[in-house]
Amino acid sequence: MARVLLKQVVKAFQDQPVVKGLDLTIPNGSFTVLVGPSGCGKSTTLRMIAGLEEVTDGEIWIGDRKVNDVPPGKRDLAMVFQNYALYPTMNVFENIAFGLQNRGLPRQECKSLVHEIAEVVGLTSYLDRKPSELSGGQRQRVALARAMVKKPQVFLMDEPLSNLDAKLRNQMRVELTSLHKQLGSTFIYVTHDQVEAMTMGDQIVVMNEGRIQQVASPVELYQDPTNLFVAQFIGSPAMNILSWEEEESCLLGFRPEKGRIAATIQPSTEEKGISLRGKVRSREILGAEVLYYVDTRKGQIIVKANHDVELIAEDEDVRLSVAAKDLYFFDEKTGMRVMGQHVHSLPLAGGAV
Amino acid sequence: MHRLAAYPLKIVERILLIVVTLVFVFPFLWMMLTAFKTLPEVFRFPPTFLPEIWDFSNFMKAWESGPFLRFVFNSFIVAVGVLILQFLTAVPAAYAFARYRFPGRNLLFGITLIALMIPPQVIFLPIYVQMSGWGLVNTLWSLILPYGASAFGIFLLRQSFMQVPDEVIEAARLDQASEWKIMWKIMVPIAKPVLVTFGLFSFIYHWNDYFWPLIMTNSDAVRTLPMGIAMLKASEGGKIWNVIMAGNVILVFPILIIFFFAQRHIIRAFIYQSK
Amino acid sequence: MWKEIALRRYQSRSQVVPQKSGQLLEKSRPYLYVAPALAFFTLFFFYPIAYMVYLSFYDWSLLDLSAMEWVGLENFHALFTDADFYQVLSNTFVFTVFTVSLGMGIAFFLALWLNHRAKIYGIVQAAIFTPHIISLVSIAMLWLWLMDPQYGLLNAILESFGLPPYSWLADTKSALASLILVSVWKVVGYNTLVFIAGLQSIPKYLYEAAALDRSPAWKTLWKITIPMLSPTLFFLLIINTISSFQVFDTINIMTQGGPVNSTNMLVFYIYEQGMDFYNGGIASAASVVLLLLVALLTLFHFLVLSKKVHYR
Repeated sequence: MARVLLKQVVKAFQDQPVVKGLDLTIPNGSFTVLVGPSGCGKSTTLRMIAGLEEVTDGEIWIGDRKVNDVPPGKRDLAMVFQNYALYPTMNVFENIAFGLQNRGLPRQECKSLVHEIAEVVGLTSYLDRKPSELSGGQRQRVALARAMVKKPQVFLMDEPLSNLDAKLRNQMRVELTSLHKQLGSTFIYVTHDQVEAMTMGDQIVVMNEGRIQQVASPVELYQDPTNLFVAQFIGSPAMNILSWEEEESCLLGFRPEKGRIAATIQPSTEEKGISLRGKVRSREILGAEVLYYVDTRKGQIIVKANHDVELIAEDEDVRLSVAAKDLYFFDEKTGMRVMGQHVHSLPLAGGAV
Repeated sequence: MHRLAAYPLKIVERILLIVVTLVFVFPFLWMMLTAFKTLPEVFRFPPTFLPEIWDFSNFMKAWESGPFLRFVFNSFIVAVGVLILQFLTAVPAAYAFARYRFPGRNLLFGITLIALMIPPQVIFLPIYVQMSGWGLVNTLWSLILPYGASAFGIFLLRQSFMQVPDEVIEAARLDQASEWKIMWKIMVPIAKPVLVTFGLFSFIYHWNDYFWPLIMTNSDAVRTLPMGIAMLKASEGGKIWNVIMAGNVILVFPILIIFFFAQRHIIRAFIYQSK
Repeated sequence: MWKEIALRRYQSRSQVVPQKSGQLLEKSRPYLYVAPALAFFTLFFFYPIAYMVYLSFYDWSLLDLSAMEWVGLENFHALFTDADFYQVLSNTFVFTVFTVSLGMGIAFFLALWLNHRAKIYGIVQAAIFTPHIISLVSIAMLWLWLMDPQYGLLNAILESFGLPPYSWLADTKSALASLILVSVWKVVGYNTLVFIAGLQSIPKYLYEAAALDRSPAWKTLWKITIPMLSPTLFFLLIINTISSFQVFDTINIMTQGGPVNSTNMLVFYIYEQGMDFYNGGIASAASVVLLLLVALLTLFHFLVLSKKVHYR
């Protein structure tokens, strides 16, 4: 087991910087998820840790060893790829055993290790099948077994679930997190899917345009985003962002699930916060919850409401309100979170649609 | 409306199909039939179709007219030797062209493509002089070495290697496989269909080759089967068609057998160049 | 249980010291990989080409390689003032034009006809392809026998139709045509299958669209099939032309260039000059001419190909 340390890591492809000076500590035994939109540098970062991509500048440490010049096979890590990257001409046994054989493990020991792992992931009866004869989920398990059998200090996973269908994906999510608990080794997991990130990781690294936006636990990330990007990237649907007249160059945001919607146009005065009038443009019923798309003079706002409140029809006039404690403020220019702003009254209350 | 009008047309078409097939296949059948006829029957006009007396001795006569076991052996050594050498040179070269970025790669690959286009018939003379300078004329080496690297083989394998996803190679690197091992243990097995295709192409070409042994050899000890067969004509006045055809059956038969069983592979092997 | 094993392994595993010394190997690895193949190409392809050009400026013979004499362009001069050589060039030219045009023309129609998935067509395709994989030695000897003026099957067939016997290889007027016949017979199957491969790569929807537009069959052929097939046509044109230039085996076995030089062509001429008449200089000069012809064709091929890529 080991912690992974990135010091001012830079990666450039033909002078085009992709990763721009990352400083990151991945604690020993953590399940760290690198998340961000495509092209944000998360996969490149993972590949640099794996040694598949050379580091342009900076240092990478695994445990107490600087690994910049260590070839991938000797970094004591294993990786699960998005397309599984199984060896197509080898059967399942050979796929799993290949790495062990390359380490010069005796044949007998190899065999028993492969069988143990096959048991763990439920592949025992498939050991002599070729990858082309397996389903997507089974291939995924082979890829996992191939990584696990080497007992690496660090597991790297590059969108390992994105080729699976939704049901299997949910199932594998649970399996991976429980596997992480059992093994206690360091997991570094890359995904573009914020739901996957939030449900699996204990430390989440949000990246954008080659830079780290925020490193935090899922709860912290949700409750305390440090900037506009994180605020909008985490959570679904994304946070509503409005311009705020009370202060120049300041944006105001709130999460759809924090907005309250009522089929009345009377302002409520019970607590501090904001209040807005609008008209329901459309709604999506998701089962237990309803999404309302409300047109206001600040633009379209999405509100997520519980089903137990009575449904509001389309084209109906409504009043939106958000409690002051659920409001976020951001600097319009830098996008950074502005703390210590207070909503004194209901500044938007007077605004009619 | 098609059916009624089409029916007689269909029969005509089937007949034409048979005619076309016969145009290309009957000569070989004629070769076989002649090989079983006695000499007087061969020289009868108009000719008989089936042999009146099936004479199997023509094959023995052809076989004993020269050291045919030696010829077959030499043909085999040359075809297999060339194949092994081409395999050993093509795999690393194709791998490097497909998988590494290095200065000069395009230039070197361009050079390989040029070698693909110029046939050996154009440059046999200087190679002969070269070979005689090295004292290799009239040895099996002179038949094998000039074909040691196949531009076609490199080209085919490169295509096949390029189709392997990067991640498979990266997974192998993470599995601590050496670059050398990745090439031979991961990539070569993946390219097996292409290797079979190329192997058939190369083997058939060299088994059949007449030109190069004719240039490079002048004694029976190193001659190959096509040369031995060609010499049948020169011996004994050149008109013993039954024996000559019997010899040709010996030459053609192995290829026809391979063709019968690996038809798809062989056709693909020869057609591949067009793609 | 495997976790315990893992633990033991962790404890016993020794740290791997990073190696810098591997850098040079990694940098030179691709070059090492291409080196063997390139060594063969250099030794048996590029060097011989250069050596051949060199040899063409000397008067020499295979009888005594140590006695070479610089003669400058004398060999080329001799070549191009020799009536025989012009005959050889013209034979090669006629042979090539007819072999290529007939071989491709017949194959094109066969391909349109035989391009079906049904099994019977597959059998016919394999049948017409067979000559392509048979040694030219056998093909030459087989046709020599078929064309035998007295006892050959071909004249027997002519006779059975009440036609006079044909002279085939025995006459200067018919010998070249006979060789063309053999070459066309050999190459038609290959060309047909290449055409069929080309036809099958034309997307079906083009034909469906044409059918919806009520395009008549000839128009579909002319406006869709032939343009879409043009890369295949071009490939076959080049390949067939180059291989016609190097015709040798059939000449050597069937005619020896005769009667009276009427079937003598470039490679056979080079062979005769170099190996039989010991005119090394003349032979290498003729080789250079052949090389230039093939090189020009190849260059043309690449230029058109790169242009085509450009248009896409």
